[in-house]
Amino acid sequence: MDAVLTLRDIRKAFPGVVAVDGVDLDLYPGEIHALVGENGAGKSTLSAIAFGELKPDEGSVTAHGTVGLVHQHFELIGRLRVWQNVLLGREPHRGWRIDEASARARVVAIAERNGLEIDPNAFVETLPIGVQQRVELLRELDRDPAVLLLDEPTAALAPAEIESFFATVVQLAARGTAIMIVTHKLQEVIAYATRVTVMRHGKVVERTLTSATSIPAIARAMVGGEVPAVAAREHADLTPCLHVKDLCAGSGATQLNDFFLDVRGGEIVGIAGVEGNGQSTLADALAGLIDYTGIIERRGTMGVIPQDRQREALVMDWSLVENTLLGRQHRKAACRGFQLDRVRARAETESIRERFDVRAANLDVAVRTLSGGNQQKLVVGRALIDTPEFVLAYNPTRGVDVGAAALVQSRLMEARNRGAAVLLISFELDEILTLADHVIVMYRGAVLGSFGRDAFDRAEIGRLMAGSA
Amino acid sequence: MNELIVTLVALTLVKATPIIYAALGGVISERSGVINIGLEGMMAAGAFTAVVASFATHNPVLGLVGGLCAGAAFGYLLAFAATRFKVDQIVAGTGINLICAGGAAYGLVLLFNQPGASVQVASLGDKYWVLVVLAFVLAALLQWLLYRTPWGLRIRASGENPSAVVSAGLDPLRLRTYAVIVSGALAGLGGAFLSIGELNLYSDGMTAGRGFIALAAVIFGRWHPLGATVACVVFGFFEALQYVLQGQIAWLPANAMQALPYIAALVALAGVTGRVRAPAADGVPF
Amino acid sequence: MNRYLRPLAGPLGAILLIVVLMSLAMIVAGTSPVDGFTALFVGALGGRNQLGETLVATTALLFPALGICLAFRAGLFNIGAEGQLLIGALCAGALGAVLTVPGPLGILFMLVAGAIGGGAWGAIAGWMKARFGANEIIATLMLNFVASAFALELVSGPLKGPLAAGAETAWLDPKYWLPALLPGTRLSIALLFAVALALLLQWVFARTVFGYDLRASGEAPEAARRSGINLGRLTWLALTLSGAIAGVGGATIVSGELHRFNTQLSPGYGFTAIAVALVGDLQPLWICLAAFGFGILESGGLAMQASAQVPKDAIHVIEGLIIFVLAARRYVATRVEGTLP
Repeated sequence: MDAVLTLRDIRKAFPGVVAVDGVDLDLYPGEIHALVGENGAGKSTLSAIAFGELKPDEGSVTAHGTVGLVHQHFELIGRLRVWQNVLLGREPHRGWRIDEASARARVVAIAERNGLEIDPNAFVETLPIGVQQRVELLRELDRDPAVLLLDEPTAALAPAEIESFFATVVQLAARGTAIMIVTHKLQEVIAYATRVTVMRHGKVVERTLTSATSIPAIARAMVGGEVPAVAAREHADLTPCLHVKDLCAGSGATQLNDFFLDVRGGEIVGIAGVEGNGQSTLADALAGLIDYTGIIERRGTMGVIPQDRQREALVMDWSLVENTLLGRQHRKAACRGFQLDRVRARAETESIRERFDVRAANLDVAVRTLSGGNQQKLVVGRALIDTPEFVLAYNPTRGVDVGAAALVQSRLMEARNRGAAVLLISFELDEILTLADHVIVMYRGAVLGSFGRDAFDRAEIGRLMAGSA
Repeated sequence: MNELIVTLVALTLVKATPIIYAALGGVISERSGVINIGLEGMMAAGAFTAVVASFATHNPVLGLVGGLCAGAAFGYLLAFAATRFKVDQIVAGTGINLICAGGAAYGLVLLFNQPGASVQVASLGDKYWVLVVLAFVLAALLQWLLYRTPWGLRIRASGENPSAVVSAGLDPLRLRTYAVIVSGALAGLGGAFLSIGELNLYSDGMTAGRGFIALAAVIFGRWHPLGATVACVVFGFFEALQYVLQGQIAWLPANAMQALPYIAALVALAGVTGRVRAPAADGVPF
Repeated sequence: MNRYLRPLAGPLGAILLIVVLMSLAMIVAGTSPVDGFTALFVGALGGRNQLGETLVATTALLFPALGICLAFRAGLFNIGAEGQLLIGALCAGALGAVLTVPGPLGILFMLVAGAIGGGAWGAIAGWMKARFGANEIIATLMLNFVASAFALELVSGPLKGPLAAGAETAWLDPKYWLPALLPGTRLSIALLFAVALALLLQWVFARTVFGYDLRASGEAPEAARRSGINLGRLTWLALTLSGAIAGVGGATIVSGELHRFNTQLSPGYGFTAIAVALVGDLQPLWICLAAFGFGILESGGLAMQASAQVPKDAIHVIEGLIIFVLAARRYVATRVEGTLP
């Protein structure tokens, strides 16, 4: 059978880095092809080139039929209706006017054909994330693509939603669509993909049938050696630190309802849940950024690792030194009279750079010039530098490579080992199961289950995350 | 008394008209994702060019066309800067305001050899009401275009999330360019109404912040063409009120009364902001 | 580009652009650029009086430009410096006309009155922004018109000087005049105040906690909020200070230059100051240089209009074009230096 999408000797460089370096790729009708690799390995660049969003510096792209792309961060318009999102640019019309009735009918028809349920009239912003993804998928399916690229499609889905999502994907493949999935969830690769391509530093390092490989083998190929280990869990005495009871805050889908939580010094408590179930509201309430009712009692100092490093944690055009002061600039120790103590700040930045292996040309370059992993290491280092008694870590390893993730996780574990209380909010269940001493499942702003480390049950936690009690 | 009310209503509509044109321009521009701070300057450009065109051709209709084209040209300038060079739209719009106000003053000296105001030119005379009616018709038309046609959906989409528009296979930058050109044309027409509709000359500073009042009307009207039009009528009312009362009540502080429409706009701005939501990508370069 | 030369690129580029555009404006007006520039520079710098007038304009531009700079640094686009300056001048003029204290103390009072008046005018927009989220650009501009109507009303009536012909306050007692800096010209020591203020602001931005908070709020509001900065408080504080600085500028025009309040006292200094602040790259010390440059244009422009028949208003077109081009500069700079998308 002939390939529907052929990439030959693709090369793409950005200033300072070769993102894709001589890659070939063929996608055949009916196959589910997984593209894996570390952050920065070139997956996103390659899929953007395959989709035609980006022009390669060298090499050729040949596609027979249209290529669709489902983005990791959905490209949807919250304030428009489902049918408007799906049919944007291809609106059925009568004269100058949009024919709304046939537009709705068309959306319902595509949805039914693919076994998806959707209300074409709903405003997208009111829909849960799993349903929003359906909208994104429907938009691509309306164009009847020969090739469908899925970029981290399950990153925001609960385990149960992931299963039904893949049911749709497998069905599509069976009908002859070529599918490429960019993902970092290796279990899904093994479970659903037929072939896998592993990229590292812009090159393809392995390409094989999934039936002929295993999760550890893929992981080793991705990293180019053994996967770095996380620091060991040591015995730590438990001391009361954070007590949350009857907490109500926020509004809408992310409202907290009588949330309760205890985190003791010397343990990591993980909040497992699908994105959009009130985690942000909880983090903001704990950080004192929003109004709430109920009890939040905390002993000692707090270090915060915000969710979105570029928007919430860093001033991108500032130097490392200036960013090290952010959030700490109002402490007495940071100032000398009216002036900020720049000598001290520089020394602190230097110590973060050493302990957290932040790679930067020097301490005065803008953090914008740092890679995502190094930016994150700076943010984590800043949160931990004053040895806080309570650490709030929100997706601390999102979008960083395996090495940086292991370092960040190790530092969090070390903070716990020295007696700090760590609250880990993460959308990566694996991360929580690795680090946490205790797991709380959060669903629609409430506690749905609670597990000690000796009673972790992956399947049960997954079920609760989807809301089934 | 009845006569007074009739005068007030008529004057309200006349005073609202130029602001409506500018506000419709503001709506379409912001709906596409470009904040047009330069509305004020585009009005001035329209007002001045209309006078020049009418002076040259002795035809006020060609004057209107000239004003419209001048506004559109500056709209294109802003659109080009905003889409091609990703400029800070606020700074660029401020630049356009200075260019247009200064340019008109420079032109007055060059062309009419007199600072401050132009000579009198052929104006629309008593046919200016056509433009008043047209303003309301355009408002309704724009409402329909934005909410009922593919074109309107795409404009709104590029003001909400231009990346999604790209995913749909369209070019948001082109949509924004068209929208801002139309925005400038409408502002230019509003300016032309000021100079050769209501009056028959251009004088320095005659736009008097109407472009900014229009921006307040856009917000007050929740980025809807009809809503903005209603807001403009309210502001027009306060401007008319000031004129009508001046002749009627002697003890009113005449000079301070000139501040009335601006204060109304300020109050509206404070009263409604926070309860309304701007297009998500309004003012964000793409 | 060399890191020591790079900060110069903006201002130098701006100067080059001004020269090119001015030449064009002169050619359009039918004058050769050589004649035009000669008229401009002779008019601005050709003698003690001319230099004095240029520095008077420099001072009048520098205060509002520094105020605008402070607001811009906090991410607030204050285009109401004109009104803030006017109200500051009005307060100073009104107070100065009735003062009966010793000279230096009276001058101090007038400057404080200017700061309070301008500050209050800025605070209105700041309060509207902080309390309601009202767009500060529209608010500050609307307030310009309110300010001029308000000032005109007051000096046409209650505050009108007993002997004044037009809309102006009574003349100040000479003991309330700011001492001259360049004897025989209208230049007062206000210039020194303005430069000192620029130095102070440079220090505040670079070294102090307040400056740090201000810049953080301007560059990354969400990160700033999460770092413990009260954005609402900072917003009104920044706009109040911004207005106060412009207001002091108004007071120095009254006390140092006109010696009375007159509604015509500013030929748009508050708007030209936006160009000054942007050309000065929002760095107070560069802004001093930019203000001098625009001071040359302001005072030389009059001479140019008289002797070379180039309308002075050409200068405002050029200001607008400069702002416009500077707006694109950041994008061009990132394109040239090359960072990852």
